Amino acid sequence: MLLRVENLHVEVGGKLLLKGVDMEIGEGETHVLFGPNGSGKSSLVMALIGHPGYRLIDGRIFFKGVDITEKPIDERIRMGMGVVFQNPPRLYGVKLRELINRVARDRTREDGVLMMLDRLNISEELLERYVNVGFSGGEVKRCEIAQVLAMNPDLLILDEPDSGVDVENLELIGKELAKILEDRSALVITHHGYILRYLKPSKAHVMLQGRIVCDGDPDHILNQIMREGYRWCERCRLMRKS
Amino acid sequence: MQVDEEELRKALNKPATYGRDLDLSQYSTRAVGEPEVVKEVIERSFEVGVDLRKRDSLTTFLQIDHRALYKSIQRRLEGDIELMPIEEAVKRYEWVRELLWRLRSPYEDKYTAFNALHGSGGYFLRILEDRKMHIPIQACFFMFSPGIIQSVHNIIVADPGSEAQILTGCTTHPKISRGLHVGVTEIYVRSGAKLNYTMIHKWNPGFDVRPRTGILVEDDAALLHNYIALGYVGSFQSYPTARLLGENSKIAMNNIVYLQGSSEMDLGGEVIMEGDGGRVELLTNAVAAEDARIISRGRIVCEGEDGRGHISCRGLMLSDSAEISAIPCLVSRKMSSELTHEAAIGRIAEDQLFYLMARGISREEAESLIVRGFLDLSPMKLPDHLEKGVRKIIDMALEGF
Repeated sequence: MLLRVENLHVEVGGKLLLKGVDMEIGEGETHVLFGPNGSGKSSLVMALIGHPGYRLIDGRIFFKGVDITEKPIDERIRMGMGVVFQNPPRLYGVKLRELINRVARDRTREDGVLMMLDRLNISEELLERYVNVGFSGGEVKRCEIAQVLAMNPDLLILDEPDSGVDVENLELIGKELAKILEDRSALVITHHGYILRYLKPSKAHVMLQGRIVCDGDPDHILNQIMREGYRWCERCRLMRKS
Repeated sequence: MQVDEEELRKALNKPATYGRDLDLSQYSTRAVGEPEVVKEVIERSFEVGVDLRKRDSLTTFLQIDHRALYKSIQRRLEGDIELMPIEEAVKRYEWVRELLWRLRSPYEDKYTAFNALHGSGGYFLRILEDRKMHIPIQACFFMFSPGIIQSVHNIIVADPGSEAQILTGCTTHPKISRGLHVGVTEIYVRSGAKLNYTMIHKWNPGFDVRPRTGILVEDDAALLHNYIALGYVGSFQSYPTARLLGENSKIAMNNIVYLQGSSEMDLGGEVIMEGDGGRVELLTNAVAAEDARIISRGRIVCEGEDGRGHISCRGLMLSDSAEISAIPCLVSRKMSSELTHEAAIGRIAEDQLFYLMARGISREEAESLIVRGFLDLSPMKLPDHLEKGVRKIIDMALEGF
């Protein structure tokens, strides 16, 4: 098992956001996580990579069989996790080229990085700009993905890779991710499910109010959510309880 | 300009408006020994952007203590520029004497008065009409004798339609623990000329520095005035003043400062837009580490029509015992003017640190990357090779951070 999350309880500022999350992602598997706004999806991402603001109350996280619950962020990342953030900060004075070169160091061959940048349509001009400063929505996502792919991770965590992206950029991103995910694992968080036109996850989870309430076939779950919204999951949860 | 010696003697006791008051009798006026371009001079000058190893192939001026030691004009620039010690220029051209003390008053404070009475050295640089030079002209002021006052007067004239890059580095022998550098610089940017003037300083912890810069910009002319200070200084106080005399005159003053130890810096800038359509930008990015104290002042006065001015001061605090103050001031005397300012002081943003660490970069490396990014050189529009050189200087200064 590549990633195992057991009974994860996480709070931020005294508020409990994750209330006992369990999840397992195997080698080469892509899982998708659905959930309404505020259900705790991004909190799970932050807890997985070890954001210091997200305090672990209970539970453990195992990655590649190692208990990483107490490990700092950079160490977890160096073990092979990579995250595409939904709203990354702007880094004035740090050029995209400099950051990509730094994260690619020792992990990805230079020609591999250049080809990947070309496929993601990241121009020389964009590489010379400061990270996320004045970038369009599509540029932000493409550059996020480029950085993470340069890190060559074993597990990709993609937080809303399809939000704020136009159709052309979505296709570009979707195709590149589909290719990359042929031989590695991923947890994809999506609100609208647009990215699933390109990715074929093996399993879906639904998160409501800080808990995983449903696991199953991604197409079936997405169809139900599209038809009935998250009320369906709510009912499903109630049915399970009863 | 004629100066009144009696008035000057009175002004010798006059403290400056800003900055710590210094007792000039505590410094020596005597240089020790015969200056030479030794290894330490070459190495230290390189840290302020001046490559003395290339002094034969680049246009170069070097002064050590009171003496102008070296002056060369690149062969292909002969006939395009004039470069000589100020004393020689005053003897050669009556009009140069008229340019002295036109843009700064010699009676302003004890430092200008001392300079007018006892100053020694400095350069006269003139870029002739319509000549456009893209390789920087380099000047270095080096302090070699312990406890000395180096007090120089520079005149720069960019004739109409000319373009040039000037780099001035000021520094001291690494083993000298105290001294005072007073540099009076008057810059005349004539109609349609474009000048990029960059000054880089590197001092030792006990050094005091009081530059006095006056600037005049005529019609359709532009000056980019860049200042970079890295590391330590005892006390530094400077308040360059500029007059945008003509129509559509432009000036940008960019300051990049990284100070540590108990360094004190009071760095300002004032621009008066007298002509119409003036454009002014005053940008300061200041990093204060350890016990450093930095005051950043900016003042823009708009007297002409359609003037635009902006002051930006960003401060990065790396220690709880450091201090940064930002004091912007805008004065408008025309309804058509648009003047703005922004100031922000804080520590390294946690979200940026987290983001970089989420790319597998250690906390220390991420902090260093953010600080280096904060000392952003892009507004200075330096030529590529000079930007690379300055970037290296910043990396050297931040080594171990």
